[in-house]
Amino acid sequence: MKRALITSLVGSVALVGAAAAQEPIRIGITQNNVGVDSYQTTYEKAFIEAAEADPQVEAVVLDAGGDVARQIGQMQDLIQQGVDAIIIWPTNGQAVVPVVRQAHQAGIPVVVTNSQIAEAGFDFIASFSGPDNITQGRYAAEMMCDALDDAGRVVQIAGQPGYTTAIERQKGFEDALAEQCPDVEIVETQPGDWNREKAQRVMENFLTKYDDIDGVYSGDDNMGVGALNAAKAAGRDDLVFIGATNFAVGYEAMGRGEYWGSVYQSPVEDARNALATAKAVVMGEEVPFLNYFDTPKITQDNMGEFDKPVF
Amino acid sequence: MAKTDVELAVPVRRDPWITRDKVVHLLQTKGLLIAFALFLVAFSLASDRFASVDNISTVLRQVAIVGTIAVGVTIVVIGGNLDLSVGSLLSFSTVLVVDLHDKIGPGPAILIMFAAALAVGCVNGLLVGFARLNSLIVTLGMLSAIQGLTLIYSGGQNVDIADQEGTWFAFFGRDFLLGVAVPTWIFLGLAVILHVVLTRTTFGRKVFAVGGNPTAAAFSGVRRARVVFSTYLISAFCTACAAVILGSRVMGSQNNVGQGYELVVLAGVILGGTSLLGGSGSIPKTVVGVLILGFIQNGLLLLGYPYYAQWLVTWVVIILAVWLDVASKRGRLFTTTS
Amino acid sequence: MTKSPLRHLSRIPPIWMILIACVAFFSVFADSFFAIGNFTNILIQTSTIGLIALGMTVVMINGNIDLSVGAVVALAASLAVGLQADLGIVPAVLVGLGAGVALGFLNGMVVWKTGVDAFIVTLGAMMGVRGLVFLYTGEQSFFSMNFAYADFGMSSIAGVPTLAWVFLALTVIMHVVMTRTTHGRNAYAVGGNREAAENAGIRVGRHMVANFMLVGFFAALAGITLSTQMGASTPNLGTNYELWVITAVVLGGTKLTGGVGTILGTLGGVLTIGVLRNGMNLMQVPAFYVLVVMGAILIAVLLVDARVNRRVAGEVKL
Repeated sequence: MKRALITSLVGSVALVGAAAAQEPIRIGITQNNVGVDSYQTTYEKAFIEAAEADPQVEAVVLDAGGDVARQIGQMQDLIQQGVDAIIIWPTNGQAVVPVVRQAHQAGIPVVVTNSQIAEAGFDFIASFSGPDNITQGRYAAEMMCDALDDAGRVVQIAGQPGYTTAIERQKGFEDALAEQCPDVEIVETQPGDWNREKAQRVMENFLTKYDDIDGVYSGDDNMGVGALNAAKAAGRDDLVFIGATNFAVGYEAMGRGEYWGSVYQSPVEDARNALATAKAVVMGEEVPFLNYFDTPKITQDNMGEFDKPVF
Repeated sequence: MAKTDVELAVPVRRDPWITRDKVVHLLQTKGLLIAFALFLVAFSLASDRFASVDNISTVLRQVAIVGTIAVGVTIVVIGGNLDLSVGSLLSFSTVLVVDLHDKIGPGPAILIMFAAALAVGCVNGLLVGFARLNSLIVTLGMLSAIQGLTLIYSGGQNVDIADQEGTWFAFFGRDFLLGVAVPTWIFLGLAVILHVVLTRTTFGRKVFAVGGNPTAAAFSGVRRARVVFSTYLISAFCTACAAVILGSRVMGSQNNVGQGYELVVLAGVILGGTSLLGGSGSIPKTVVGVLILGFIQNGLLLLGYPYYAQWLVTWVVIILAVWLDVASKRGRLFTTTS
Repeated sequence: MTKSPLRHLSRIPPIWMILIACVAFFSVFADSFFAIGNFTNILIQTSTIGLIALGMTVVMINGNIDLSVGAVVALAASLAVGLQADLGIVPAVLVGLGAGVALGFLNGMVVWKTGVDAFIVTLGAMMGVRGLVFLYTGEQSFFSMNFAYADFGMSSIAGVPTLAWVFLALTVIMHVVMTRTTHGRNAYAVGGNREAAENAGIRVGRHMVANFMLVGFFAALAGITLSTQMGASTPNLGTNYELWVITAVVLGGTKLTGGVGTILGTLGGVLTIGVLRNGMNLMQVPAFYVLVVMGAILIAVLLVDARVNRRVAGEVKL
């Protein structure tokens, strides 16, 4: 990984020297928290690869480590460096609005990736590129209604409290469930912090607390597989597991018939979409304001149509 | 456990007020257990699920990871130092053992992981023991460095074990022996062994001596550096054991899986009454401290309180428990400082 | 072990040498590092940790520690942003600051009256106050409806960001407090030899409570200035800040045993961390390596420091 970066650095330096006339497009990205899970890591890799493959683009790749304050600092650094466009994966959809506004005022277009910014910031961004997390929550609710024949009791294991993706998926799921099958009741919601071991512990406590759970919705498959571990250990193999962001482990569990369904979301596509959007914005092309990429439902029935996720 | 209590009771002086002395004595030696018992009774009354065999065995299994680490950290703390690197080390060891499992098989993976963890323990031990650097800062630096190493090793990817059903590695985190979960056996087994080491061996006496009065220890020929070095090896060893449990339980690992464990572990050790100044403390008490934390968390969740309620309760419980301890040693509730 | 505070003022804290070396290194190797705009960025970025570190230095010179500062950052920010709609900006900010001071008072009183080690008291508070934050916010982020709030965070006076001015001004004030006032002298005396300080008539308990209130105030102020940069607050704000603050203060030469330390050194420690972070960002060092470098530097500085001050190394123990 380091080598990849160094070659990209060397490559870009060479590019500046050799083709100064051509002026590469400099795009800075500040990511949420690389290394916290495979999705974000795969995203970063794909982004760097896509940027290297494109001779017109020179990328500055940063990571906020999940800290809002550090992300704001990185935005300011990118503004100071005078990049042509900034891609931000918000650590928090609301807290980055002022610094996004600052970039806007400095004349640098901002593309938000993966996780949406708060509405107050819509005026200051060029485009949002990423999945539609509310819709993903709705998809999960639809699958849950299907799986339970519109009646039952479910528990929810949400992502890290305070993070936009977690909040949006939870909201999408809860709203759609109430609409589509009001007889499916959410008995309790606890955060699993995007952490499989934590989700496993939370599920163990749910299983002690409730005898009559029919389904589990997890904010991503990583946590979903933790919950599945707990249920298997307790001998409860009658539960319906539905997740989001299909991970390789979730895909495999689905293949074994233990996991009902999830939402297929490719970090590679996510990253390429973001880079392409930012490049198009700099080139002055017309881009849709909400540039969603497709995140279809994946279930045991249709999983053959999808490649196993690489993360 | 009774044995330690008697030993701890020895330094209590006989005051003219017999009754008060007895109360103080009882609180000092059994205060934590009394509080623990009250807790259990209160939760059992409030939730019909709490006292069920199922629930108790779940909690015993869940606290095993924190408990296994806490047992090792107790020895470091008795030796007069801190170890904040255990959380990062847990992440590192778990990622390592899970990643190597599919590459070279469970046996070699476990061996290499233990070697790597002990190497980290060596670095801590060299810096704190031999170079005499402050343990808080050294292990804080190690916390950050090991976190980085973990990410560099894995490239930031999650690691998984492909064949979850077929590997004997599943034994450590998922199996039961005589109706008790293996993680619980590992936790309690390590606790018993290290308790014996601490109370019945020369090494144990040296740890107390080095933590309690380094100067006197040095005069009586105890080599502080070696003792401190060994305590960090023990702590790393325990953390490696916890990593085996964790990896086997989850059959996979994220790079930040151990984040924050250092503080929960420390909370358990402190709650057990081990003094951060070194020289006093006991492993059975740490076990009780860890169990209290585990049951508080579990009980509050069963009663339907939000997960952060446990933090508020832990805040109060830690301060009260340590205060009780300090006050009974002092013989009065409040300090006389102006 | 009582030491004259003046002795520590007579020399430049060694961390400044490291800071200068870092600045020189990045000026050569990182494009766009050596620029006024970048330096003001570093000042803003370090002001949060820096403000807390000012208070922490005093508490640590006392021989105490405060691990709850990160949670106080989140609480103050949440109150200041969350109450704005009902109370208006200024009263909401005052409530946020008040909460920090109140929690400092609570920590200090518990440490004083119960005699429980500050590390334990504030470790408990670190969890408990975070619990209060989640309780109050209901796990939500708050958003300031008023752009004036965020504009303040982004504003500049004479080309230097307002927040940087605030940090620098308070640094100067704290420097004066620690070097020119009775309170400052007492802080060293209490940390150097507590019994001697008591015998000399210093009211140690009250003195320590005052310092806990001071660090509570600084943590709350840091939370509020941070929230002005975001126009928002998040319940996770300030996580792990206590570790970075302690790192900065120790890099600056303050001893955990108490009695030794300077505001000037702390400023150097804070800036060193800021420069390292910023410089490695500009050089595009991958985030994973940054963690290793930060950890290694912390230990390296400690090693060098121990060699320089071999005479005190023996007493270093928490």
